[in-house]
Parts: sequence; C-alpha cells; structure tokens
Amino acid sequence: MTPEPAIRDALLAAVPSLRAFAISLCGQVDRADDLVQDTLLRALSHIDRFERGTNLHAWLFTILRNLFHSEYRKRRREVEDPDGSYAGRLKVQPEQGSRLDFEDFRSALAKLPSDQREALLLVGASGFSYEEAATICGCAVGTIKSRVNRARSRLAGMLAVDDADDLGPDSMTRAALQAIG
Amino acid sequence: MTSNKGKRLAAVVTDGLADNGHSSEPRIDRPTQTRLGDQLRAMYDDLVNQPVPDRFKDLLDRLEKGGAPEKAR
Repeated sequence: MTPEPAIRDALLAAVPSLRAFAISLCGQVDRADDLVQDTLLRALSHIDRFERGTNLHAWLFTILRNLFHSEYRKRRREVEDPDGSYAGRLKVQPEQGSRLDFEDFRSALAKLPSDQREALLLVGASGFSYEEAATICGCAVGTIKSRVNRARSRLAGMLAVDDADDLGPDSMTRAALQAIG
Repeated sequence: MTSNKGKRLAAVVTDGLADNGHSSEPRIDRPTQTRLGDQLRAMYDDLVNQPVPDRFKDLLDRLEKGGAPEKAR
C-alpha cells in the first residue's frame, strides 16, 4: 500500500479537516489523532475502492465516521457527555490569543446528541451538502436535515440560557480581559 | 448589553409552518441561525488552522518509502 505521490499529497492535505472533525466528534485531541491516523491507514489499504474523480474528502470523512462509531463508541461512557466532561476535555491547547468565546459554544455543542452534533458539523462547519452528509452518515437526506434543525434549535436554547447568565465565570473572564484591553 | 443578546438568541420560532413537511420541529429565526453558523465555523476554523502534527507526514512518508505500515495502535 505504498501511496502514489498524488494520493499522499491529497491525504496530507485532508488531514486538517479530518482532525477538526475528529476533535469535534470525540472531544479529545489524542484520541482524535489516533482516529485520523487509522482513517489514513484504512483509506490507503482500500484505495482501490475509491472512485477517481469523486469527492476524496467525503470518502475520507465516511471512513473516519465509521471508525469513530465502530471503535470509539464502544467506549461510549467515556465519550458521551452526560455531565459536561467532554466539554472539559475539548480544550485544545489554546494558542496565543485564542478566543475564550468558543468555550460556551463548545460546551453547548458537546451536550448535543452525537447524531445531531455530527450532522451539524458536516453541514454547518465542514461544508458538505445535505446530500453528501447523508451519504457520509448512511442515512436519508431528510434525516440529516431534521438532525441539523434540531441541533440548531438546541444550541440556540442552550446559548440563550448561557448568555443570560451574566455572572458566569466565562463572561467575568471576558469582561476582565476586555477591561485589560 | 448581555441581556439583549440573550433575548435575541432566544427567538425560537415554534409556529412550525415549515414547507418541508417537518412541521413538528421548532425552527429558529434567520438571524439566530446566522449567528450560530458563524460561531460554529469560527470554532471549527480554529481547529482546521491548527498546525498538523508531524506524525501524519511521517506516517505517509514512511509508507511512501515502502516501509511496512505498523498497526495504527
């Protein structure tokens, strides 16, 4: 399974998107990187099944998503997030000037059911069409639309509550930072 | 400032007059949807723009040289 240079370059180019999706899905950078590595190996060993000219990204996302569900959901209790522990782990080492504002959003995203989170990430963040997302998830287009709608509604509800909470630690931190300038 | 923001985001339209047949699902208004979408993409782009760990380039380089791929884990 020695990759042709073109395939190798295409895979490497896809890594940032795959990592973003994997980190958003499973909430842990180390585990996400293992997932991406498994995805690359699986893709290379099945590269003959990839139809040239079709969407490589969608194919890779399909593999990653299937690996996530088959291997990683066995560790469901670690991954699912009844009490917000996912959100605590989803702290990618913040770079200089990283925005604290994402914390509220990440924590709300983490509270979504995983099928809704996945649909929203594919359509709303990764730039796939509803049709592509349906292919990736192996379900009907209407199901994806419905999951995305429900995800948006839930997020809106959760973030509205958070925003109303003026005394939350995040807003205090933000206020302090803004005061510092 | 914050109280206004909260009210705006809370504008969940529940009249269910969707033309897609999923009339039972709550719909959120367009500004809310836009704001959520912006936040989602900003968070996601932050992840996409992170530097790629060397392990992936190393892995593909190793495979390209015909090295036996080790099991992922």
